[in-house]
Amino acid sequence: MSTSPATSTAAEVALSVRNLTTSFRTDRGIVTAVEKASFDLHRGEALGLVGESGCGKSVTSKSIMRLLPEHITRYGKDSEVMLGPDNLMGYSGRQMRDIRGNRIAMIFQEPMTALNPVFTVGWQLDEALKYHTKLGRSERKRRVIELLDMVEIPSPEKRYSEFPHQLSGGMRQRVVIAMALACEPEILIADEPTTALDVTIQAQILKLMNDLRERTGTAILLITHDLGVVAQTCDRVVVMYAGQVVEQAPVRELFHNPSHPYTRALLRSIPRSGKKERGKRLATIDGIVPSLTNMPPACRFADRCDCREDRCTAEPPHLVQLNEDRSVRCHFPVHSD
Amino acid sequence: MSDSSANDSRVLRKFLRHKPAVVASVVIAVYGVVAFVLLVVGVITLPDTLKRVGAELQPGLSSERLPEKRLLDCEWLIDRIASLSERRNPEKALAAFSDMGVRRIADVELDELLNRIDLAWESYDELADIEDVTAAAAGTLDDPDVPPPAEVRSMLTELEKRTDALLEPMTKAEKSTRWFELLLGTDRQGRSIFYRAVYSVRVAILIGLVTALLSVTIGTLAGLAAGYFGGWVDNVVTWFYSTFASIPNIVLLILLAFMFDGGHIDGPINKVTGGLLDRLIGGRLDETLIPVYIAFTATFWIGPCRVVRGETMKIKELEYIQAATVMGFGRARILLRHVLPNVTYLMLINFSLLFIGAIKSEVILSFLGLGVKKGPSWGIMISQSKSEVINSFFWQIGTATTFMFFLVLAFNVLSDALQDVLDPKHV
Ligand SMILES: Nc1ncnc2c1ncn2[C@@H]1O[C@H](COP(=O)(O)OP(=O)(O)OP(=O)(O)O)[C@@H](O)[C@H]1O
Ligand code: SF4
Ligand SMILES: [Mg+2]
Repeated sequence: MSTSPATSTAAEVALSVRNLTTSFRTDRGIVTAVEKASFDLHRGEALGLVGESGCGKSVTSKSIMRLLPEHITRYGKDSEVMLGPDNLMGYSGRQMRDIRGNRIAMIFQEPMTALNPVFTVGWQLDEALKYHTKLGRSERKRRVIELLDMVEIPSPEKRYSEFPHQLSGGMRQRVVIAMALACEPEILIADEPTTALDVTIQAQILKLMNDLRERTGTAILLITHDLGVVAQTCDRVVVMYAGQVVEQAPVRELFHNPSHPYTRALLRSIPRSGKKERGKRLATIDGIVPSLTNMPPACRFADRCDCREDRCTAEPPHLVQLNEDRSVRCHFPVHSD
Repeated sequence: MSDSSANDSRVLRKFLRHKPAVVASVVIAVYGVVAFVLLVVGVITLPDTLKRVGAELQPGLSSERLPEKRLLDCEWLIDRIASLSERRNPEKALAAFSDMGVRRIADVELDELLNRIDLAWESYDELADIEDVTAAAAGTLDDPDVPPPAEVRSMLTELEKRTDALLEPMTKAEKSTRWFELLLGTDRQGRSIFYRAVYSVRVAILIGLVTALLSVTIGTLAGLAAGYFGGWVDNVVTWFYSTFASIPNIVLLILLAFMFDGGHIDGPINKVTGGLLDRLIGGRLDETLIPVYIAFTATFWIGPCRVVRGETMKIKELEYIQAATVMGFGRARILLRHVLPNVTYLMLINFSLLFIGAIKSEVILSFLGLGVKKGPSWGIMISQSKSEVINSFFWQIGTATTFMFFLVLAFNVLSDALQDVLDPKHV
């Protein structure tokens, strides 16, 4: 495990996604849920992946873990998911199993069903250690209690032999995090880990995740549709729209200086508590997300964009590197400088 | 596993609070013990259930001796004596036995029989006297067809010996056996209804246990595989169970029972497994029931398969199974260690439902003459009591149905309780 203190400037890449294209064979034909998504996850950083519901965030994360149903899923030929020097796209099921839980862990949204109801908390954590480590029985137990302690669960010895239904939602999500971190993975993918929790618990869990990231150096890919969560937790953000990455930027820059019209619209729709904003109607983005089967040929945001010009419906924009750590997919990116 | 013991004890406490369930379990346990004792210790044996103790007797708590097997053996002796003496001397044709052919020997009181034997001796003496005087004159003594009185004599002696044995006081054991034999009366053939009903517990439990175990195991495995792997596995399993389910259950049972009837299947199966089974359980699974096991399992696995498949499909999508996948666990491990424990409650409930199903179906098949081949069963008893009920003799059918009723009721109550206690959604 990497114990080096995480810094947001550390540019060492832990996971690199290149041209990730994921399509499904459905009754309505082939639908492409994610198209040519590219982004890097740096060691020890927290990268936010935001976008409206249905834009392909979960599909992206599940593609990385290769969790999608194999018989209906196709990945693009040039898609790469580089973990260090290895391309996970070429991995066999067995090789993937060695990666999962061990080097890349993942936690899900719903804490209520995230734990197996028929086993104790201890059993479930123990199972992970049993599978991935060579520790003996008593060592494993010690480690499990250590993990429970690490995620700040009070009286871990007692919780060890409790069942999931005896724990609160926040408590369960802590256990889930402990389970994900059991084998000290390099990368933790968290798919809306706090959406189902109430706001105070949400803040606690986010803080815990951040603390753990700093302590263990685990890079976090935080998937959310809540820009507030991103602002609170992440170092950098990837914005997705309709299956494409439309903007990539450090958090501060994105919030102060969004380039893509969609990002701007998204930021306008966050409720703010400033004096000036109070009483103002919250902005919404007009129009709807295009359906997967009926994508606009050029810019996918064109129908809803206020900066649209003729070129936008004629020629698809490419992801353009603005500077070292910013890129945007738009013919007419906004420059508010 | 110490971890799951906490869960177990919680479920157990919940179960123990469920009074009817506890009573039902006790009832089932009693049946189980009876079956076990019958199977292993053999207190009541097959010959016991075939022993004739007196026809169509009402139930009673008497332990008196009745004309029994040995006396029934006298029947042909008496017939023989009667016919011999008739030929010798038609007029005197042993009045003592003349009307006995009309009544069944089992209905004759012992005292009366003894009286008649005395009378027979008297007639015999007379017969012998006449014989001596007339034989020489008539020349019939040389007729080979006419037996000498000496033969009649030896027969009477034998008859007397047998009836004398009946007069000896009964031992304690004999008395209690008698008490049980007569407890619930006897059927038309004079066999003890109580013995037969109790002995049938063995068959019922055996069929219930074997078919429920087989069906639940097969159904659960097929359901798990279909639900978890989906795709062609699911298609195959679904095709099989919808095909089997589309045929009316009882028709299929009858068909299969016919198909596997009478040695078509017993032979090969015994050849393949019989040796092993015999060594393992000493033939206690009753190889004549193999067709029944096959016929029942062929239709019964559908129930558990269906519910387990549905539940597995649901569980598969839940976060904790996805979490197990992202922990890198293999599919077999996930299926057997993480999914299976979540469907065990369905297995238990189905086991108990199928247990009743098997017992009830056995009764129907045996009633139709396709089920149990060896020894009594409740179905056979009900089938045999058809003619008795016409004579308003209802003890046999009453006993068989009562025995069945309590077992089935107990299992029904238990299934309900299991449903309440084990379903994780109720926890
Ligand atoms: N197995 C599948 N088969 C067909 N289409 C799928 C499948 N899984 C996802 N999709 C489609 O892919 C698109 C992206 O879905 P995804 O779950 O990634 O959205 P999301 O960004 O995670 O949204 P949310 O915020 O609601 O979780 C959706 O339109 C969805 O309908
Ligand atoms: S390319 Fe045109 S339509 Fe698309 S986001 Fe940029 S300005 Fe808007
Ligand atoms: Mg999602």
